[in-house]
Amino acid sequence: MTNRKLKSQSQGDGAEDPDGGWGWVLVVALFISTSLVFGLMRGLGIFFVEFVQYFEESAQAISWISSIGLAAQQFFSPLGAALCNAYNTRLVVMTGGFLSGLGLILASQATSLVHLYLTMGLISGLGWGLVFSPMVATVMANFTRRRALAVGLGFSSIGLSSFAFNPLFQLLVEKYAWRGALLILGGLSLNIMACGALIRPECRSKASTKADPQSRLSRPDLLQRVSSYLEVSLLCERPYLTYTLGVTLFNFGYFVPYFHLVAHSRQVGFSEYRAAFIMSAAGITDIFGRIASGWFSDLGRFRVVHLLTFWTALAAVFIMLLPVSSLTGSYTAMIVMSLLYGFCSGALTSMVFAVVPMIMGVERMMGGLGLLQLIESCAGLLGIPLSGWLRDMTGNYTASFVVAGSFVLLGSLTMTTLPHYFSCTEPPPPQRPVLVDNGDTLNLEQKDSCSSKFNYQTVEQTQR
Amino acid sequence: MKLLPINILLTLATCRLTSSETVGPTLMPLTSASALPTNSKRVHLTGKNKVENVELLNPANLSLECIWTGNQNKQPNITGFWRKGGEEIQDSRVPVAPENQQYRLQRVFNIVSEEHLGNYTCVFENEAELDFILAVPRIGEKREKPIVSYVGDFVVLTCKMEETKPVPRTWNWFKINGTDKEQLFEAQRYDITVIGHKTKLKVKDVSEADSGVYHCAAVYNISASTSKLHLKVITIWEPLKPFLGILVEVVILVTVILIYERSHSKKKEAEANGLNADPKNTQPQGEDEEAEERTSVRQRKT
Repeated sequence: MTNRKLKSQSQGDGAEDPDGGWGWVLVVALFISTSLVFGLMRGLGIFFVEFVQYFEESAQAISWISSIGLAAQQFFSPLGAALCNAYNTRLVVMTGGFLSGLGLILASQATSLVHLYLTMGLISGLGWGLVFSPMVATVMANFTRRRALAVGLGFSSIGLSSFAFNPLFQLLVEKYAWRGALLILGGLSLNIMACGALIRPECRSKASTKADPQSRLSRPDLLQRVSSYLEVSLLCERPYLTYTLGVTLFNFGYFVPYFHLVAHSRQVGFSEYRAAFIMSAAGITDIFGRIASGWFSDLGRFRVVHLLTFWTALAAVFIMLLPVSSLTGSYTAMIVMSLLYGFCSGALTSMVFAVVPMIMGVERMMGGLGLLQLIESCAGLLGIPLSGWLRDMTGNYTASFVVAGSFVLLGSLTMTTLPHYFSCTEPPPPQRPVLVDNGDTLNLEQKDSCSSKFNYQTVEQTQR
Repeated sequence: MKLLPINILLTLATCRLTSSETVGPTLMPLTSASALPTNSKRVHLTGKNKVENVELLNPANLSLECIWTGNQNKQPNITGFWRKGGEEIQDSRVPVAPENQQYRLQRVFNIVSEEHLGNYTCVFENEAELDFILAVPRIGEKREKPIVSYVGDFVVLTCKMEETKPVPRTWNWFKINGTDKEQLFEAQRYDITVIGHKTKLKVKDVSEADSGVYHCAAVYNISASTSKLHLKVITIWEPLKPFLGILVEVVILVTVILIYERSHSKKKEAEANGLNADPKNTQPQGEDEEAEERTSVRQRKT
């Protein structure tokens, strides 16, 4: 009966699901899987020393392992997104979890550095790529009013797990050497499969509704289907391009303090432990920043894009003030600056992801996120060496931090060029233009954004 | 040990430095049998006790001098003597008279071999003591936790002397079997590399018999300085136990989640079948967004 089909289709469209209920279970799943992806990646530094000793290779050769892993995670994100659009999100995430575990398990048997590149780098990286974007997109699709808070809660795991994993990994390495530790970490990574299992296969109807109109078009080419799964059409839209450019600029500067703050503190003259604590301080407030900004943005007082520019501008200012505060030589000043920086950095992370559905619409979020990860990866890979080079040229880290902060500020300014930036309410998010159904053409970008009552999605998003 | 008069004179004639760092060997046309260099160490003592570490690499005639600033009692005559390892050295008792309110005790020791190293104390009887600890440079970094390796794998044990300390002449490796100390040499299974301040022992194809305590010794002319390392060899079964535990946990979790969902979806299907009779029935909550959504859905589809 058509009515039942109506109901199942409306429930298949994630944006219409009410907040709460199963959504919070998915937030827990996001929490665990993010900690097992990024928290794990950050903790791999413990293995660094062991690898240098065992394989007797240079520090640079060993660093490539993490670089390959991170690059693979970001590079394969669009692939993960496309597979979710084509098939079942649950299956993709579970496969990703399996691959990330497999990579680490195989790495425990490595006899040469190349083995580590292939297993810990490529295979695990591929697994992580298949997990992260789909999970984030699924959680965001299951929330409308509490979206930013849900995502913020999910991401807070990165900071917490870095704290927990460092001593844990140290313990594992001391007890079982790096081989045994990697084996056990592989097992832990397999828990991502359990997180993936929690995803309800409602996305399947989304995929089928997408596939159906596609096949009705004149040329159901493989290429056309693939490009629709990858949401390549987004690349032709100005809001998406602006947003991507802004995020890329953020990435140039965002990672610099994480990599160089400890070294900078040591150079200023603080001891190892004090320098490490400065970094930890930033990590603590990072966690709070993510949750607090998510909660605050959901209150609805301000538009998410405005909050995004606010937090990023503030973060840029604090990044630039970091070397200035160290000029005074005061430990308290550095700690305070680091706390403030951590809070803003966490806050902006939540906002960056919360803005996504506004830019590309909930339906295209999956593919859009994948593409975004890929494009911003270039900036992340380039930003660190750039700041390292600046440090080598000038002799201290002041130039690197100032340049990093200015990149973030530039990104912030780019965001202000988004369409309808200066309007009071949210504009309607752009809809996928290929849908055959003519009834919803009125949902395309409207000129007058303040009278957007006809768009049901806008109504949901602007609960005032 | 007898004090040679010539030695005393020459030591007195030696330039006095104000710092308490070891002075390099002074050149002197000694007529004594030993052509050993002479080092001197002069330390001021203000309180009741002090400890001074002296690093020695080569055999030498070491002149140790204690200068005590005295206390309120201002006694005219104190007895001073020397102790080695806690026991008083014979014929070392001398009366000490204050010069410029300072009491001075000095003695030259012939340090040639390992047994001459140790704890030397200059004692101002019932008043103050100053310990000189004569030793070879000690290896700073000590790894207390055991180094773990797997059967069939190789393991590299390293020992490092601080760069600021003098380079050892060579390094030796030993394995402790019960009470025996067996020296290890370059062999089929052992690879020993010595690079100045560092040394590495690579044990190939380890087995459980290789577990135990190893000593690395930094050899100097006068003695050697050792450091302990503990090697523990385990089989793959050790980490496999927690791994299998985690594996079982993952399988159970996934199964439970899938089973729960299957039963839940069956319930939902039953509900949907029941509700099918009344298609216009909105959800009983009556939330604004739900109602508007339903109307707009109907608007969209018609």
